[in-house]
Amino acid sequence: MSRLIGQRLLQALLVALVVGVLTFILTRALPGDMAFRIAAGRYGYDYVDAAAAAAVREELAPEGNALLALGQWLGDLLRLDLGRSLVSGEPVLDEIRHQLGHSLQLALGALLAALLVGPPLGVLAGLRPGGWFDRLSLVAAACLRALPPFVVGVLLILLLAVGAGWLPAAGHGTPAHLVLPALTLALGLAAVSSRVARDSTRTVAGSAYYAFARHKGLGEGQVFLRHGLRNVGVPVVVYQGVQLIYLIEGVVVVETLFAWPGIGHALVHAIVARDVPMIQGTALVMGLMFVLLNAGVDLLCWLIDPRRRAP
Amino acid sequence: MRIFRRFGLAACLLAVSLSTVARDGVLDIVAPWEIGGTDPAQAGYVFTRLGIAETLVDVDAEARPIPGLASAWKVSDDQLTWRFTLRDDVRFHDGSVLTAQVAAHALTAARDKPGILQQVPLAGIEAVDDRTLVLRLTEPFSPLLAALAHTSAQILAMAAFEDDGRVSRVIGTGPYRIDIFQPPQRLTAVYHEDYWGEAPAIREIAYLAAGRGETRALLAESGDADIVFTLDPASQARLARNPALSVHSVPIPRTVLLKLNAAHPALNDPRARQALSLAIDRAGIATGLLREPEAVADQLLPPGLGAWHLDGLPTPARDLQRAAALLAELGWEAGPEGMLFRDGEPLRLTLRTFPDRPELPLIATALQDQWRGLGVDLQLAIGNSSEIPAGHQDGSLELALLARNFALIPNPLGTLLQDYGPGGGDWGAMNWSDARLNEILQELRAGADPARASALRQEAAAILHEALPVIPITWYQQTAAVSRALENFSIDPFERSYRLSSMDWAAP
Amino acid sequence: MSTVTLSAVDTRPAGRRWSSRRLWGAGLLLLLVGFALLVPWLWGADPARQDLGRILSPPGWSEPLGTDHLGRSLLARLAAALRLSLGLALLGVLSAALPGLALGVLAGWRGGWTDRLLVMLADTCLALPGLLLVLLLVAIAPGSFWALYVGIALVLWIEYFRVVRATTAGLVTSPQIQASRLLGFGLAYLFRRHLWPELAPLVLTLAAFGAANAVLAIAALGFVSVGLRPPTAELGLMMTELLPYYHEAPWAILQPIAALFLLVLSLHLLAGREAS
Repeated sequence: MSRLIGQRLLQALLVALVVGVLTFILTRALPGDMAFRIAAGRYGYDYVDAAAAAAVREELAPEGNALLALGQWLGDLLRLDLGRSLVSGEPVLDEIRHQLGHSLQLALGALLAALLVGPPLGVLAGLRPGGWFDRLSLVAAACLRALPPFVVGVLLILLLAVGAGWLPAAGHGTPAHLVLPALTLALGLAAVSSRVARDSTRTVAGSAYYAFARHKGLGEGQVFLRHGLRNVGVPVVVYQGVQLIYLIEGVVVVETLFAWPGIGHALVHAIVARDVPMIQGTALVMGLMFVLLNAGVDLLCWLIDPRRRAP
Repeated sequence: MRIFRRFGLAACLLAVSLSTVARDGVLDIVAPWEIGGTDPAQAGYVFTRLGIAETLVDVDAEARPIPGLASAWKVSDDQLTWRFTLRDDVRFHDGSVLTAQVAAHALTAARDKPGILQQVPLAGIEAVDDRTLVLRLTEPFSPLLAALAHTSAQILAMAAFEDDGRVSRVIGTGPYRIDIFQPPQRLTAVYHEDYWGEAPAIREIAYLAAGRGETRALLAESGDADIVFTLDPASQARLARNPALSVHSVPIPRTVLLKLNAAHPALNDPRARQALSLAIDRAGIATGLLREPEAVADQLLPPGLGAWHLDGLPTPARDLQRAAALLAELGWEAGPEGMLFRDGEPLRLTLRTFPDRPELPLIATALQDQWRGLGVDLQLAIGNSSEIPAGHQDGSLELALLARNFALIPNPLGTLLQDYGPGGGDWGAMNWSDARLNEILQELRAGADPARASALRQEAAAILHEALPVIPITWYQQTAAVSRALENFSIDPFERSYRLSSMDWAAP
Repeated sequence: MSTVTLSAVDTRPAGRRWSSRRLWGAGLLLLLVGFALLVPWLWGADPARQDLGRILSPPGWSEPLGTDHLGRSLLARLAAALRLSLGLALLGVLSAALPGLALGVLAGWRGGWTDRLLVMLADTCLALPGLLLVLLLVAIAPGSFWALYVGIALVLWIEYFRVVRATTAGLVTSPQIQASRLLGFGLAYLFRRHLWPELAPLVLTLAAFGAANAVLAIAALGFVSVGLRPPTAELGLMMTELLPYYHEAPWAILQPIAALFLLVLSLHLLAGREAS
């Protein structure tokens, strides 16, 4: 247990370093005049011109030695100072806290909804492999996976907001506003996790110990609860960790579509506007968040699977 | 037990559905423009449109200046000193009083940031006494009042500014004061009790920035928004058929135009530019892409701008033969696949545009195919809007497609001075200049009597039409879908205000 | 400790491996590839030729799949998009699967420090925000699709790595491999005979989803106006372009979605194991 935590801490440090250096290098490789980009981000396309760019250029610190700048950034980092956004002027940490909070709400809501829908259906399909439910769920999963999130989102809005009027179409503010964006993400996730659960269930249900449990005379439900659940659970939980990648991609689209004030949306703006402190700060926070979530997944696996506790 | 469960479910659904009904009394506005921050230079337009901040001067429907926070003004005989008398009953949202000192402070802060006030040849801004503000100029500048009506010249309280001139909070004088501020997407505002003017009928407003046209249309249909601005062309017809909504459409002084590098070997002859303009299928773009057949632009400045617009010009139609003939005169010959060559060089041009306005990449794609019929190989570079002024500055720009606002201030002279002056402009002419046009613009800038001004404007418009330093394509319409529960909605063609304080809920 | 799964190895002779399920999958895939390659021969319409007077026309005699919002032939565009997307998806999947497979087998086979090092590498890569990397790479090389696919590959190889590593680690101690090793067979034989049959379904399932993910990632980026390069026809970009017309011409946006759906389904069917 403590070894796991130690490993994750080491990883966090490594991630901070790697992310910092990598984004530093990449942002320097970005083409285009940075002063002009930032001016466009601040004043908009009606007002950005050479005068505005010149004013921004004066504000920006001179380029100087790249290594020195990197060292400076790392030093600032140790003091938890992520700088100020070049576009809005607000402290980066404040902006990230606000946006990341919203994105986390969305991500967690989506994960929860997906967990409620995907694995149970996958397990049902896996218990009768080759049956009609299995085939139907394959087609449904392929369908959902082929639909881009913005199409799913628009369909859900049409159905539940415009058609039935149960939920608000977009925006944020009340808990009801979270439902549609989270559901949009959850359907895509559920499609994949249901297949993983189905494969895993099929393997478990076909295994020797499972057959033995049935021979012992236990009912199907008991067999599943005692022998199936945990074994099925491990790959599903592990896969959730990998799913987070898809979540982040889907989050950008969903945030833009539903006008949800999250970090994906902000990140795209920051990269377009070359808001370097924002980019570096966001990359770092997202990287550390992944480490944290992976640590959480590890903990869950450790709790579920007693074999991992063996020395 | 079951009954309880059913009741519980019903109660939940009811609660959820109640939360979605546009809450009584709160006017929900949805627009594509995000709230970039608190600074008037960056996001000021959001605050003036919503009636949170106000300017010294307002304009009426004919773009004539009318009193705003300044009740009267006088200009000296040499046109260099302007005296403004401020209203004496104005209180900011934080309770402080509007004095000339506060106004001077706000204007000075605005002048130090990039924006319209930097175009004004200001010598000094002074508060002579509590009610009188004096602006001294270095040379006569007739569009001064229009410049003061610009949103970046909004008057904010002293407490809104930090020591370094940054604006940390938006404390204005308007009929609404900010309640919840969540940039970049959302803000809510409530009625300001100490407002100097007439109390608005609607007491609470909420603003949401939704970038996608589809989202905005769906918000209108679901009833979550009372007013939705800027409908995407595909949704407009559908929304017009919706009995719960009314769709408004108003032409605004914004033109989709092609900025070109007049020093480019392929573009330096006016006949080449004429040919490119003749090869554009404007009717197809206006009808097929923008769904506005009226939007075809026969000249740069749209109707509704008075003497700036030339009446009676023929509607431009696509004439590939004449265009090909013009290019042939210039030495271009058709090569393989119909592409044009001259001295072994193909006619290849790169067009820069940006996706912030979704119709621009679409029109650019249409142009690509239309010019292919002429033999021009057009490459598209869809990037950031700043690449256009950057390309102008370093000379690398060949063609750019943009949507130019001719009412940056409620007087097209402002934009024209910026764009078509002696050195050209970042968003206007590049490597092109006309001596007579410069004379006209300078004379108008210094101030001319109305009859002479009219004649000069017509002449300026004619010069731009003949020489084609930029090629106009279509004009813009501003659209809005409004719930029928609202009364007195109208669109301001100068996009300065949403006119919220004149709206009211319709009697049920 | 590994769990011995006696039913895990497919011991049927090779000829019987082509069940009806797999045949369906192969057939669908061939249909798609055939469509993409043959349409320009047989139909010959230019995917970039516009006709602004006939936008969003429904499928008819002159245009079997209708026209898009610029009046371009959807048949020609869909075929062109499939060519590009299939090719680039293949490239993306290969560039993710090959390193993932190689490193996964290495880690699972060797164990010990090699394993630990590789796992740390994978976890670090996983922690790098994929979206950020892709956006930065696309910003560095605007207008080129390769940057996108490289970015996606950088993110997706880890999936293959983890799955392959877990399976390999489980198989290394299995009796059949122990037997083969005792008999003196080399690594190549062991891989071909014992490892690959186990790994193939997993890898192909991941590839199916990976291909879909690559296309959808491009659609997502196009949605936020990154990576647009008209008039190139690309499956994900077609979905983004046709979204505003979902109400007046739903058949238009359904076409790239249906193409992607068939691709995902066919790869799944090809990859899937038989029901035991």
